[in-house]
Amino acid sequence: MIINNIHIDSAAVDSEALIVTVVGYAVVFAALILLFVAFFSMPKILNLKFKRKGKSQIAMEASPVVEMSGEVNAAISMALHLYFNQYHDEESSAMTIKRESRLYSPWSSKIYQVRNQFNRI
Amino acid sequence: MKRFATIFAIIAILATLHSLVNQAGANNPNADTVTVAQNSQQNTDSGDEEVSASVFQGLKKFWMYSGFKNAKIGHIIMIIVGLIFIFLAIKYDYEPLLLVPIGTGILIGNIPFVTLEIGKTMGLFAPDATSGLKLGLYEQGSVLNYLYYGVSQGIYPPLIFLGIGAMTDFSALISNPKLLLLGAAAQLGIFATFMGALLLGFLPSEAGAIGIIGGADGPTAIFISSKLAPHLIGPIAIAAYSYMALVPVIQPPIMRLLTTRKQRLIRMRPSRAVSKTEKILFPIIGLLLTTFIAPSALPLLGMLFFGNILKESTVTNRLAETARTSLIDIVTILLGVTVGASTQADVFLTSQSILIFVLGAISFMVATAGGLLFAHFMNLFLRKENKINPLIGAAGVSAVPDSARVAQMMGLKEDPSNHLLMHAMAPNVAGVIGSAVAAGILLSFLL
Repeated sequence: MIINNIHIDSAAVDSEALIVTVVGYAVVFAALILLFVAFFSMPKILNLKFKRKGKSQIAMEASPVVEMSGEVNAAISMALHLYFNQYHDEESSAMTIKRESRLYSPWSSKIYQVRNQFNRI
Repeated sequence: MKRFATIFAIIAILATLHSLVNQAGANNPNADTVTVAQNSQQNTDSGDEEVSASVFQGLKKFWMYSGFKNAKIGHIIMIIVGLIFIFLAIKYDYEPLLLVPIGTGILIGNIPFVTLEIGKTMGLFAPDATSGLKLGLYEQGSVLNYLYYGVSQGIYPPLIFLGIGAMTDFSALISNPKLLLLGAAAQLGIFATFMGALLLGFLPSEAGAIGIIGGADGPTAIFISSKLAPHLIGPIAIAAYSYMALVPVIQPPIMRLLTTRKQRLIRMRPSRAVSKTEKILFPIIGLLLTTFIAPSALPLLGMLFFGNILKESTVTNRLAETARTSLIDIVTILLGVTVGASTQADVFLTSQSILIFVLGAISFMVATAGGLLFAHFMNLFLRKENKINPLIGAAGVSAVPDSARVAQMMGLKEDPSNHLLMHAMAPNVAGVIGSAVAAGILLSFLL
């Protein structure tokens, strides 16, 4: 019944609709292309700024800037995380009892016994 | 609860028995009543009759107000739809944070009750009454109506965008900005659906609101339909959110159809590390560039980039934390339940809604295809080591992060060591920006 009610009206797609479609799609592209251009050139601009700074500093270290990928960073972060948080998991699972041989301890002292008062009587 | 039910049942039985006894008493007066004077007996009988009549009237009135009396087939259908939403969310984990509130909202919105018009015809309300029980979402003064104000006036979507901005990491996009173009290409779905809706006889403003479903962005769809076609908010929002939840079902066949195995195996270069300065500059430059081009998208893009500035500046952690947790959760609850409740059967179950659902499905498919084909097109100009895996083109539809997850899943199926998720996140978040820009353009043309 619904299918019978569907009427395709090609006249509805007039020049105005076509303009909205074409211009709209073009503007979406334009906006994102502008962002692309801005961020494509961003590292170069930032590097340029840092290079100028570097030139002014006489004693600059000669070590090359190593660009690390996100995966390498993730692996290093994971290793650090494990080291700082989970290293205790690698403890030995063997349980031992450490013998304590003391001549005196309040735990074994007769003067701290609960029933001491009765003994006094 | 058991006790409450028992007590309620006992009271009901007692009331029924009382009325039955009264009726029996009226028909067969016993020996005691014979001794009473005839005049007083008549008075007692007529009093009992009045009581039983009033009890009957009360029960009848209660029945008239009950959902059972006012239920229509449309209500039952919509309640089943709501239950399906809840089932899909719980059983298959399809966007549960959206489908559970929306599904429950559908149940709430489709509980039958006496509306003002029905009440007048049934004699429950005075003929000159101007307000009914103030229960329904579309009834002025009801609680649901107040909550729905945030949807109808487009208040919730920018708040959602604020939260999205505060939780989105644009690093993948900044490190490989050419993937922004995939987010633009996938907006083909919006404009193709706009044309399709026009062909099917929708008004230009309605067609624009329907077209935005192809942006695969629920808040944007709600925002635009609240401005261009407020009467279609329910079907458009439900279609947008349903298809967003069904991205793992809709996209893979199209992805397989438009790519070869060799293309799906393409390994992309790992992204470079992004500096903090770049991360802070992105929302600022993005905000200025995009809103200067499409100022109509200011509420959405402004809040999106504002949220991201809160996050990336690292000096407003408390605000960013609130925006990406408590605030977005509260708004999602209100948005979900009111959008669901807006699908009252009498408003929602129309042939227009069915057409919107069909157009929505087509728009998702076209958007996916647009992203995939543009990735192929870009690969024509890229060197071998910089080639893009076309699967990530499908993530250009802005169903964050589901479409990126689908690209990852499809990539892993072909090569279990080829992780595409981070690459796919770039066109995915670009799609959010692209759909908001497209929405702004449609607003400025059609409002």
